[in-house]
Parts: sequence; structure tokens; C-alpha cells
Amino acid sequence: MSERRRLVAGVLAAGLGLAGLPLLGLPAFYESFLYLVFHWIALATSWSLLSGYAGYFSFGHGAFFGAGVYTTTTLAAAYGVPFLATLPVAAAVAALLSAGIGVVVFRVKRLRGELFGLLTLAITFVLATIVLNTRLDGGPGVFLSNVPMPRLVASPTGTFYLLALGLATVTVAGACLVTRARLGLGLFAIHDDEDVAEVEGVPTLAYKLVAFALSAAVAGVAGGIHAMYVSYVTVGDTFSITVPLYVVLMSVLGGARHWLGPAVGATLITASLYAFTGGEQALLGRALVALILVAVILVLPQGVVPTVLERVRRARPRPLEAGATPAPALPRVEGAALECHDVWKAFGGIEALRGVSLTVGRGEIVGLVGPNGSGKTTLINVISGHYAIDRGRVTLGATVLSKRPAHRIASLGVSRTYQIPRPFAHFSALDNVALAATFGAARSTPREARDDARGWLEFTGLARRAAALPHELNLHERKFLELARALAGRPRVILLDEVLSGLNPGEIASAISLLHEIRARGVAILFVEHVMRAVLELSDRVVVLNEGEVIATGTPHEAMRAPRVVEVYLGKAHVVA
Amino acid sequence: MLEVRHLAIAYGDAPAVWDASLEVAEGEVVSVIGPNGAGKSTLVNTIAGLQQARSGVLRFAGVDLRAVPPHLVCRYGIAVVPEGRRLFTRMSVEENLEVGCYRDEARRARVATLDRVYRLFPILRERRRQLAGSLSGGQQQMVAIGRALMARPRLLLLDEPSLGLAPAVVDAMFDIIRAIHAEGVAILLVEQNVVRALEIADRAYVLEEGRIVAAGPPEVLRRESRIQEAYLGLKEA
Amino acid sequence: MPSATLLGQALVSGLLAGGLYGLLALGLSLSWGLLRLVNLAHFALALLGAYLTYQLGHALHWPPWLAAAAIVPAFFALGIALHMVFARFRVTEFTSLLVTFGLAVILESVIQWFWTADYRRYETPYASASLRIGPLFVPVLELLACLTAAALACATWAWLRFTYVGKALRAAAEDPAIAGAFGVNHRRHAFVLSGVSAAYAGVAGVFIALISTLAPAQIWAWLGVVFAVVIIGGLGNPVGALLAGFLIGVSESVTMAVAAPAWAPLVSFSILIGILVLRPERV
Repeated sequence: MSERRRLVAGVLAAGLGLAGLPLLGLPAFYESFLYLVFHWIALATSWSLLSGYAGYFSFGHGAFFGAGVYTTTTLAAAYGVPFLATLPVAAAVAALLSAGIGVVVFRVKRLRGELFGLLTLAITFVLATIVLNTRLDGGPGVFLSNVPMPRLVASPTGTFYLLALGLATVTVAGACLVTRARLGLGLFAIHDDEDVAEVEGVPTLAYKLVAFALSAAVAGVAGGIHAMYVSYVTVGDTFSITVPLYVVLMSVLGGARHWLGPAVGATLITASLYAFTGGEQALLGRALVALILVAVILVLPQGVVPTVLERVRRARPRPLEAGATPAPALPRVEGAALECHDVWKAFGGIEALRGVSLTVGRGEIVGLVGPNGSGKTTLINVISGHYAIDRGRVTLGATVLSKRPAHRIASLGVSRTYQIPRPFAHFSALDNVALAATFGAARSTPREARDDARGWLEFTGLARRAAALPHELNLHERKFLELARALAGRPRVILLDEVLSGLNPGEIASAISLLHEIRARGVAILFVEHVMRAVLELSDRVVVLNEGEVIATGTPHEAMRAPRVVEVYLGKAHVVA
Repeated sequence: MLEVRHLAIAYGDAPAVWDASLEVAEGEVVSVIGPNGAGKSTLVNTIAGLQQARSGVLRFAGVDLRAVPPHLVCRYGIAVVPEGRRLFTRMSVEENLEVGCYRDEARRARVATLDRVYRLFPILRERRRQLAGSLSGGQQQMVAIGRALMARPRLLLLDEPSLGLAPAVVDAMFDIIRAIHAEGVAILLVEQNVVRALEIADRAYVLEEGRIVAAGPPEVLRRESRIQEAYLGLKEA
Repeated sequence: MPSATLLGQALVSGLLAGGLYGLLALGLSLSWGLLRLVNLAHFALALLGAYLTYQLGHALHWPPWLAAAAIVPAFFALGIALHMVFARFRVTEFTSLLVTFGLAVILESVIQWFWTADYRRYETPYASASLRIGPLFVPVLELLACLTAAALACATWAWLRFTYVGKALRAAAEDPAIAGAFGVNHRRHAFVLSGVSAAYAGVAGVFIALISTLAPAQIWAWLGVVFAVVIIGGLGNPVGALLAGFLIGVSESVTMAVAAPAWAPLVSFSILIGILVLRPERV
């Protein structure tokens, strides 16, 4: 993407330009100040890789920072390893620590939001205690004044400045790259709705681990450099509340979701704090920092950079979406039969599905009906991988789907919609669909994905709304967005959960014709529905569930007339002999 | 007593009920039947004050309920047995019942009403100290009904009381509803189960896709093909 | 292996320390369990109460009970004010964590501004008084703190269990909409609960001033312990918080007796991490 390359090149060029600063021979005071600015830019930007983009707010950045500090300190001071060589090790140690934490914690669904924050804070304190009580520090702190300092330029402060500048440049350029790569896209999707992201094909566990590790590695290097900078390291200073607090504030202030946000926030805060030097005023500075955090969270939750960008976007007249480019020809899909063999699923003691078997043939439309609580949505959730199957098998063609993670099932050709639409709130309609194209069975490049997305939006009649955010769409449009998103994954089977509920008769009619067209392209459809007239009009076959069991299958008219079905819906009195 | 005229209710911008009109007079049993997703629960929740209507008239004993804040609706004599029971699972059976008579008027008669509820549901007296979350489905339904009765309502709203219960339990449930009605409480019953709902009702309404499509006494409705259509989608009986 | 007397003393110290943990945990457990708001500033509030007690005693020579009589109602009002901010900005469970984090730092800075980072000790004539039970020493002040914690925990438990308001609070914590349908005005109750929670922080603060040495950084020292106590005891369970406090207090002091004192904080943090990872449904 040329835009991406331009931005990254810009960042690197800025970095190179700023690297010439020490040649100006500025007093050490300025070089120190700038060291701190870039130090915090690196820390804040790295923090937001996981916490800003994916929404897993970590209060533990201090732990990785501290891991870096003490890795460099131990290696350089106790073992005489050259300072620069300790930095990659610091990165590795911090990254391993984060991976260890992530592997355990990311699998537990409940540990999101505030619990993840608490956990990471606790881990920081644990690490601090361990360091304090072992030979790593032992209490009195460690001196690094004996460690030889490499001289990149004449002055030591200049050297530190260059090191921090280098780290910050690489980190910011990296962040820019990430936001425009699949990793970033997946992380943003995880932020908005992790379960849906997984179902759309995003490998959520892997991406979170990678983001966490990258974030920790940078913090580790920043810590290593800082250890040399302060040259006297104590547990109290290293693991204090400063690092966790400041990175959160800087990112939240500048905009945690934007690659440049934390850098802007870091610059603003560091500059403001430098105005308060000296003991008492440093205290005031910290209180001010906290006050700004509170104010920002309450009043400006998006952050400075996105708010500014939003104003700019609104001030400029929106360019008309390209109606000029014709919608690309939509491909036919190679269909496959979806089969459920004797599927069982229980929650606690309640059996939601009891030996359900059904088939959806290639290019078939099968309606799944049944009274409230009969297990219809549960079945969809099991097929798509949202719930793990207890017993039985689900196959698509020759491939076994059951027991695979949801994102694998998605890439194998299964898409679904939700009864209450769940679009990614911060993504435009186009980006919502493009995400599915990027991660679904199709696996397209970003350009292909956007073209595909435009095509599917055209197909569902939403082309004019491509740039709109989901909250700007009405219910009908959101439902069709769900449909477009499901189709963009180039599925061989689509599972629809009450896609027609809430639509008026006209909208229902257009939805039905859309579904016919989808089938015409070879996609099989299994849909749950209560709007009976639609079920009859649309389905080739109908499967009736009751209390987790299949009680009838057949053509719509056959099935709905079966005595058992009539009895279940209306009671024995209605069964006509 | 209860007057609903041209009520429209929506979730955000997703309309759930269009133009619903119905009435319940003192001491009547009125059933609202209809297939899944028709909007029955939405209607009941709105009458109980759990949800706001978009437009229309909602009056009870002459009072405009739409202007009343949610936690004051019960003061006028309406109590709800919500869909899925929605008990306070971490509290005991008796505590659940006690929350039911939270409003001042009901509080004063607590002892007498509690006794009445235990006579209706003897098994609850046995299990009064048990955690509500640990009871069976049928027993939980009893607690939910008992909780509503503790509020000494003039109108009892029942939302799908037979949901998820075994047929024998459902029988018992409807006997109890009859007993409650015999004490003079008006009942608005929302049910997917057509047979039961029509058996017990003085009058009934059929709700389909957010609209009332038929109304009248049970005998008339039973013969109508609208019910077949609504539930099974079939045009001919 | 330490002697029986040493272990016995460790047990006593642990129980007493646990009582103080329980006292601190009480307010937090109430607000987190019943209001679904995480208040990291609770500890800062308690420490502020401690410093105020110290100041009133040191400068104005107010006896602790008088200081308490002033602090507790003031903190009640403070709690209500805090909840007004939460309600105004529609703060969710997660944002409450961030906002109170910021508030805690602000409070810490205020404390350090007025009283500096130097250690402070509130000297009272009865500070070193202790009972002797056989070979064991039981410091009177800590015993008093423990008994107060027990009394407050039981009183709160009784309030939640037996009064209408208590039942209404518990019901609304689980399903505020249905509780509302039966007449419970959760909004109004929430303010009262926030005030009570802050008032408890004030009480804890008075005892902290009497028992410990004060330093601003103490706020973060208790964080792990008290969160562990709240979660183990069960959110919204006052007596549970007390018992969990005893459990953690004893584990810590036994660890200190058997291993080195500096390892003690590890106990509570590790238990906290363990519970979050293994039994997250408790929260």
C-alpha cells in the first residue's frame, strides 16, 4: 500500500533527521529532555499495541519495563556483558514473560476488561517482590556506574538521546505498519467484539500473544536503556506506579487506537511535566497528570488525535463514494454439503441439543424452526464453533469441523449472522465487510479485500453507505451489512440467525430475493426463522426442532403439517386427523 | 382498568410492536397469544414499566403510566412475572418473596400475604430458606408468581409461565392461575402455548409480527385460521 | 523450624492484621459487589483518613474517637459526591477502574504535598499497651481494630440480611430492572451505599493511624492484599471479607515467621493471581 509506505518512510525520515541533533552541540539539559520524550514515546506506543488496539488494558507495563531494567543491570554489572548486547536479551526476557502470562490468561474468557487490568497490576507487584528479595537486587539497589558506556557521539546524554530516538522511531514506524496490516486489523476487531472476530476468521489468541510480546519487548529495551541512563537502579523506582500510570494516560490522552496517538500524548505530557522540576513541584506534576487522566476518561474518551481527525473529516466535504467503479463480478462458490451427525450439547445439567442430525446439501436452503428454547441458536453456535461440541460430528464436505477453533471453521467456509447484528462499532461498513474478506476463506490481500467488499455491499444494496459507521445505519441496513459480511468470507455454507426479525414486509421481500440470489451462486443456506411465511417461501426443506431433538424434516408443507409438529406448536386439539 | 391504545415500542431503531391496542377489565383473564418473536414480551415489559414505549396510550385505572418512573409503576397495582422468571438467584425463596412486597402498602400486609402465598404453594414453605437459584424450573416459576402476588396487585402480568416446564407442571401452574383469578385479581397472560392460553381466558388477542391481528372470545378465535397461519405459516387449516 | 511460641505469636499477629485487612476490604467489597464499580481510590481514602486522624491528634490534640466522629460523616458525604460523578458521567465497571486509579494518585499526591513522604507515627500513650495471654502478646490497639472490624462486618451483614433496604440492595445488584419493577429505587440506594463504603474507609483510616507508621506509598502496598481478600471472601459478602482477611493475615504472618519477612506480600498477590486465573467466576 503506497500510503502505508509513505507514512513509514516519513517516520523513518523524521527519525534520521532528528538524529542529527547532537551535532548541534546543545546543552545536556535539552538532550536529556529529548531523551525522556522519546523514552516515553516508545513506552506509550508499545503499550497501546495490545491495550489500545485490542482493548486489553494492561496495568503491567511496569513489569516488562522492570524486567528489561534488571536484565541489563544483572548482565552488565554482574557479568560484564557489553551494554548494547544486553538490550536484545532484555527484549527477549520481557517478551518471554509476556508470552508466559498471555498463554495462561488469554485463554480465560472472563479475564478481560478490569480483571485483566487487576491481574497485570498484581503481576507487577509480584515481580517487584521477587526482584527485591533475590540477588537480582536484594534491597540496596544496583549501581551501573562501572559499566562502560558506548560512545555513539561525544556526549553521554547525546548517546542516550540517539538510543531512545532509535527505539522510538522503530516503535512508531512499527505501530504504523501494524495498524495497516492484518495484525492491526485483527486487533481492532478483537477490541470491538472478540467473539465475532474469532468467528470471522481472526486468530485471536495468536494475535493477542504477538501484540503482547511486541509490546513487552519494546518496554524491555526501553528499560535496559533507562537503567544505564539513571545508573543507579532500585526496585522502588523501577516498579513504581509511574510507568503504568503514565503510559495509560499518554495513550488515552493522545488516542490509544491511533498509531501516532500515544506519541502525541507522550510529548504533551513530558513537556508539561518538565515545566515542574524539583521535589515539591514534581509532586504537583504527578497530581496534575492523574487529574488529566480522570478528565480525559470522563470527557474525551477517544483521545486527542482521533478527535482532531474527526473534526477535520467533518469539516471537509465527504468525497462521493466511487459509484464510478462498477461492482466486480462476484464469484461462484464451490459448494459442499454440511452435515451434522448426532450432535449433543449440554450446559450445566441442561441438554440443549440431543443427538441432532441434519444435512444441508450443496446449494440448498434449509429452514430450521421450532418453539422457543428448542436449541436452534445453540446448533448454529456449535456449527460455527462458538460453542464446543460435546458429542457427535459436524462435517463440511469431507472436512471435519467440530472440535476446531472458530476461526479455523470460518476459513474452511462457514459464515454466520447474528440475530441482533454485531458489526464492529469502530469500522465503517466497507471495513466491516473487508475484514471478513481478509480473514475468511478467501484470504485476500487488502486491495482485493476492499474491492470484494465494495462488490458485496453493492450486492446487498448498501453501496451508498460504504463509508458509514454502524451506529449511523438503521436496523435493515445493519442486517444487510451482516449478510454482506457473511458473504465476504466466500463461504460455502451460511448460517443465518433470524435475519428477518424486525423487518417490515417490504424489507422482508427484498431479503428473500437476496437469499435466492445467494443460493444461485452455489452457497448453501441454513437459516433459523420465525417468520413462517418466509420459511415456506424460501426453504427447499425444513427441519423442526423441539427440546433439542429433530421432530420432523421434509418439504415445508410436509413438515409443518406433521402431527407432531402441529401438536408441539398448537396443542393436541389442533391436530386434524 | 388497563387501557392500551396504538402502542408502538422499539429497541433503538428496531421496531418490535406496531400499533397495539388492548384492554383488560377488573377481574378479567386476558390472553395474548402469538408465535415467537411476535413482540409479546416486549408488550408486557412495557406495561410493567421495564421498557419505554415510543408512542401511544398506556393507562391503568385512569393513570397515564407512560409518565410514571419505572420504580413507581408497581404502586398502582401492577405486578409482573417476567419471562424466564428472573429471580434473585443468590437470595433465598423467602427473601425473593419479601422483595416482592417492597412497596409500602404491600409491606404492611406482609405476614398475611406471605401466609397466603405459602398456602397456594406449600412446597415453597418447606424450601423457604433455600437459594432460589437451586430450585427446579417449576418451583422457580412458583417463586416468581409468589413474588408478584406479594405485591398485592390488581393486575398480574404473566409472561410465558409455561416456558421450559414439563406438561404435568404446566397443568399445576394453570390451576394456580385459576385460583389466583378466583381471588379477584385481573390477569394478562402472554403465552406461546395456544391451548392453555385459550382455555383459561375470558378474552384473547393474537399478536403477530408486532401487530394485533385478531381479538375476541376464545371459542371464536379457536375456529379462526389466523392462528394456524400465524404459528405454522400455512394458509389452509 | 520456629518454636511453638513464635508460631503462636505469628498466629495472633496474623489474626489481628487480618482484622485490619477485613476492615479495609469491607467498604470495597460492598461497592464492588453491590454497585459493580471498582474503587481503587478506596485505599487512598483510608490513608487520607489516617493522616487526618494523625493531624487532628498531633496539631489539635483531638483524641482518636473525636477525630473519628468528624471523619466518618465527612467521608460519608465524600462517598456520595464520588457517586454523583459516576452517575453524571455514566461510568461503567471498567472505566471506574481507570477513573479511581487517577483519583488514587491525586489523593496520594495531596497527602504527600501536605505531609511529605517522611514516615509519620501517631504516638499515643496506649500505643504499646498489650495484653498478655500466656506467652503471647496481644497489642490492645490492634485487638480493638480487629473487634471493630468484626462488629462492623456483622452489623453490615445483618443490615443486608434482615432489613428491607439490605434486601433491596442485594436484589438490585443482581437484576436492577426487575427490582425496580417491585419498587426498588436503585439510584437512591446507590448513593447511600457509596457513602457507607467511604465511611468504612474512614474508620479503617483511624485505626491505621493508631497502629501503623504512615507513608504515602502505603496505598499501593495494600492493594494486592485487600483485593485478594475481597475476591476470596466473595464480592458483597461482609463476613466473608472478614474471614478472608483472617485467612490472608495468618498466611502472611506464618510465611514471615518461617521464611523472610520481605516475602510476605507475595502471598496475597499470588493468591489473588491464582483466584483470578483459576476461579474467575467468583468475581
